[in-house]
Amino acid sequence: MGMRKGVWLAAALMVLSAASLPSASRSGTQTTGNSDDDASRATRWKALQQAIFPGKTLQDGGGVVQIDAPPRALDAALVPVRLSFPGKEAVRSVWLIIDQNPSPLAAHVTFGPRADARMLEMRVRVDAYTDLHAVAATADGKLYSTAQFIKAAGGCSAPAGPDDAAALQDVGTMKLRLIGPFTPGRPMQARLMIRHPNFNGMQMNQITRLYTSARFIRTIDATYDGGSVFHLDSDISLSSDPVITFGFVPQRKGQIRIVTRDSSNATFDHRFDVPGAGT
Amino acid sequence: MYPGQEPERPRRPAVSRPALAAMRVFGAVAALLLAALAAPAGMRADASVAEPAGYWTGDINSPTPATLQGGQVIHTTQTSRLVKAGGAIIVDVSTAPRRPQELAPNAPWLPVPHPGIPGAVWIPGAGLGVIPAALNDFYRARLATLTEGDFSRALVIYCHQRCWLSWNAARRAIHYGYRNVSWFPEGIEGWKAKGLQTQTLEPQAPRPGS
Repeated sequence: MGMRKGVWLAAALMVLSAASLPSASRSGTQTTGNSDDDASRATRWKALQQAIFPGKTLQDGGGVVQIDAPPRALDAALVPVRLSFPGKEAVRSVWLIIDQNPSPLAAHVTFGPRADARMLEMRVRVDAYTDLHAVAATADGKLYSTAQFIKAAGGCSAPAGPDDAAALQDVGTMKLRLIGPFTPGRPMQARLMIRHPNFNGMQMNQITRLYTSARFIRTIDATYDGGSVFHLDSDISLSSDPVITFGFVPQRKGQIRIVTRDSSNATFDHRFDVPGAGT
Repeated sequence: MYPGQEPERPRRPAVSRPALAAMRVFGAVAALLLAALAAPAGMRADASVAEPAGYWTGDINSPTPATLQGGQVIHTTQTSRLVKAGGAIIVDVSTAPRRPQELAPNAPWLPVPHPGIPGAVWIPGAGLGVIPAALNDFYRARLATLTEGDFSRALVIYCHQRCWLSWNAARRAIHYGYRNVSWFPEGIEGWKAKGLQTQTLEPQAPRPGS
């Protein structure tokens, strides 16, 4: 019996491996226009470059800008993306682009004099299997680009939550958590959490089944004792309840001030003591 | 499988013990093969999800049931066979991206071309849990035109994997009176995973104000 079982298993494995061969070779059909094939991804990126960086040359970003994101995201509405800038040349600003999203430019962040511009982390929505591109501008005006492919789908039309009214109840509330010890003059990090549904106008209300009006964060300004840490422009590709982790250099005890404006022209203004904030 | 329905169990025939053992092994292997051929791992419908009594009004992107009362559930191989044979009406009910008015005028808005099954008709919103009257009328009228009023014509409804819109839209077609409705739950992801050809589709919608 053991022998026979073994033969059966071997036969089954052979059939299974045959079944898992790409069926294109058997059916004779061809793949065209898929967002997940290399050629169409390259075409898409070319079109995006022309739209976002017209007339500019992008250099290979290896060593200047890196992307870390989960290759297969558990929740497409909430994909954490970490950008790091390991190069010697200071990075002045960075664009995060989600190639397949209908509104592909997720964020443009400009670092100020109080920034420690070596990393930046945020959560974004992803609508399809897509390349993420990060383009960093260095102080000498050059642009460097890097990419990572991730698998996640449905983040743009996924309902934001069970109830629009509840999602807006404490809109604009913020928390700031300091990461690492405070030493005057030494860089440290902070994680900013903003309560905001960031409705992109594509989500559907769970009860009425109608599209929820768009209401999203347009800008976030972070300053330390009046000096800019970063300025962020974004629209509908940031996740709801955005979380942004950034680096800054506090010269002495002071305050981080966060001013956020959204598409309904609401302004949310909060100050956090350093050291002290939420630690 | 929906609540209150007992699974059908074939009666075990009276056979000798060794033959029975051999059959069990064969059965297990056959079941394994069938499962593997039906859908690639990770795409299979969740057997633990029951069919709702009406249209699904919960999270659109969540696990879907393995069944559709009054219709059939088909997978990629069967779908591609139907497409190749011709005659079936293929309907894509994926959501179409909408540009929010609030977006800055200079913000790039570049929705990607929508890849679909060649020959499919794209009717966004046909699978909403609660459908606006104008859209319901439009969906019904489009199906009537496409099928030339033949309720026995084969319909294949799909959107994305792990998406309820196509389940709802297929159920809706069954309630319109169509008798040969197939739901393809693996959707465009399952189609592309098999390396099958796609075609760019344009959304069809009722005229504003209608």
